[in-house]
Amino acid sequence: MKKTLFAVLFGALVVFGMLSTGYCEIGVTDTEIHIGQWSPQSGPAAAWGAVARGTDAYFKWINANGGIHGRKLVHHYFDDGYNPARTIAGVKQLQEQRGMFAWVGGVGTAPGLAVKEYLMQKKIPWIGPAAGSWHWVTPPQKYLFNVYPLYLGDAQLLVEHAAKKMGKKSIAVVYQEDDYGEQGLAGTKHMLEKYNMELAAAVPVAMGDSDMRPHAMRLSRSNADAVLLFISPVAASRIIGIGKAMNYAPQWMSSSTCGDCPLMIDITQGLYEGVITSSFGMLETGEKVGDLQHINDPKHKLVAEYKKDVYGKFAARDERWGYTFVVGIGLAEPLVEAIKRAGRDLTRERLVEELEKMENFRGVLGRITYGPLDPNNPLTRIGQQELFLHQCTADGGSRILTNWIETEYIPMGH
Amino acid sequence: MIDFIQMVISGIAVGSSYALMALGMVLIYKASEVPNFVQGEMALLPVFIAYMMIYSYGYSVFIAFFGALFFAMILGCFLEFAVVRRAKNPNILGLIIVTIGLEMILLGLVSWKFGADQRIMPFPISSYSSVMIGDLYISTMDLVTLFVALAIMIVLFLFFRFSKFGVAMKATQQNPTAARLMGIRTNRVKMVTWGISATVGTVSGLLLAPVIMEPYMMWNPMLKGFAGAVVGGMTSLPGAVFGAYIVGVVEHLFGGYVSMDFKAVVAFAVIVIVLCVKPSGLFARHYVKKV
Repeated sequence: MKKTLFAVLFGALVVFGMLSTGYCEIGVTDTEIHIGQWSPQSGPAAAWGAVARGTDAYFKWINANGGIHGRKLVHHYFDDGYNPARTIAGVKQLQEQRGMFAWVGGVGTAPGLAVKEYLMQKKIPWIGPAAGSWHWVTPPQKYLFNVYPLYLGDAQLLVEHAAKKMGKKSIAVVYQEDDYGEQGLAGTKHMLEKYNMELAAAVPVAMGDSDMRPHAMRLSRSNADAVLLFISPVAASRIIGIGKAMNYAPQWMSSSTCGDCPLMIDITQGLYEGVITSSFGMLETGEKVGDLQHINDPKHKLVAEYKKDVYGKFAARDERWGYTFVVGIGLAEPLVEAIKRAGRDLTRERLVEELEKMENFRGVLGRITYGPLDPNNPLTRIGQQELFLHQCTADGGSRILTNWIETEYIPMGH
Repeated sequence: MIDFIQMVISGIAVGSSYALMALGMVLIYKASEVPNFVQGEMALLPVFIAYMMIYSYGYSVFIAFFGALFFAMILGCFLEFAVVRRAKNPNILGLIIVTIGLEMILLGLVSWKFGADQRIMPFPISSYSSVMIGDLYISTMDLVTLFVALAIMIVLFLFFRFSKFGVAMKATQQNPTAARLMGIRTNRVKMVTWGISATVGTVSGLLLAPVIMEPYMMWNPMLKGFAGAVVGGMTSLPGAVFGAYIVGVVEHLFGGYVSMDFKAVVAFAVIVIVLCVKPSGLFARHYVKKV
């Protein structure tokens, strides 16, 4: 009798327990949705930590406005120091001890690759890795939705502009010795082949190398009249500075990684004026080629709203309003949109369904489109392929050089 | 030929900042017999203090730089007095761990207080102006670093040769027991040595800061300075300086003629070769283990 009573009580507890949370989706309760993220808040890549802080402020702003379908977004982000070993330890700990519904952002190709298999095997959605790596879409994964345009696209646009619009005859590339830099190099080579041009020089930069004199010298000896940079902002500032000291003045062009004009103008003491960079966000559709823009006084309505409400009210006191912070918001926007569209009955499968239906979604970044998973078609998970070019001005603003341009997907690793 | 000369000039230019770090490391090694891995951060914190003095309190660059050097002196003395001296029955491994711990604490402090954003230190001359001699160039900042490094070496030489305290430091480094018996307050000498070492390192940091400032800015110069000190000999001040210049020049020649991919790590290959051929370094007379 006692055993029966115990069984009934236990069953009732389980049933009521389940009822009180609605259903059993990991990381979702009646009132909360738990989202995880890693980013370097310390270490050599700590400047990219603003991505997670941008996402965090964005989620706080959403919560302050009532959350999504009565649920608050609970953001768990941790410092991995850009160290893949720490990334995997932190992700496993949060996932297995706390239970995340999904992951968003996540700075860096190497840290992302360390956890990709784990997240995919567990069927946990991961939206918007903060690195433009082809690994996210080759092959496409059901639960991995890319947002950040691939660096191959940056190379495509920059070479096209240098060779076709500016008539540059000799193009060199400086690339970081990792996946980011090597994609930039591959994209550059691909485009130069297309235009029957030779690469004037390919100069590798080791992570952490602070002496760029030999690199600048090799560029100078190559006589390249345009140099593409797929390196970090610090390395870019050093190499342009040494170029100036050597009286070497090619047209410097850079990937979006060094596209934060106010920061770059500041740390190069103004030498970044005239540098052309690709960008994947904050261009209002109505803006025209030749228009000036400045992130501190954004014309983009949504960016202006975020600056006032998200950054103004929810960012830490000493946080810098810049591209990295805004990218943190932009990478999370598709996730938030899909959660909204999924409605109250939120499950991971529903989230994936809604993301797959997303077509030409535009927040602060370019248009984002996914499709039903096709293992042979990376475009079903690539998200954004649009980029535009702008040229930094002396005051930290930029002049728009092109409209949004849809880049071609260049297969790599085949 | 022009390329070769340019690479040697650039190698000497970068070697100057390595040399200052190497000098700082050797000073401490001679006094405390520990490779000091907090050398970079003993310079980092004063550099950021100078930055704060300029931007938060409105001091001029010169006052801020002198403030940073004074702070470095105090910081070095404090670390020796408050931490290193307190280590119970210290062996080399224990002291190395202590310096690595201090390095992490100071780095964390700077990252926490100032954040990770890159910035630059104001400086009276532009970081990117240069002097051209035909096809050869040397940046003005590199020239300043070179002259400052040479001046510091001369001052240290004169200090150790002719000042009473300098001679006391040498005596303490050579035989602490005998020095103590001769009335030298060896603990105080060691403490001041740490202070001088931090000050020399800070000069290097202040000359690097106008190009870029970030919490990890001293990591690479510290490693290369260490490499230079090992190459030259951890117990020889001129050796450390020469070793640092060798590291700078070898890096540039290797990057220019062999491989840019391995330029950043060639210094450590040089260490391995030197340790295999001459374990006490190129310029140390011989290695004597104290018992």
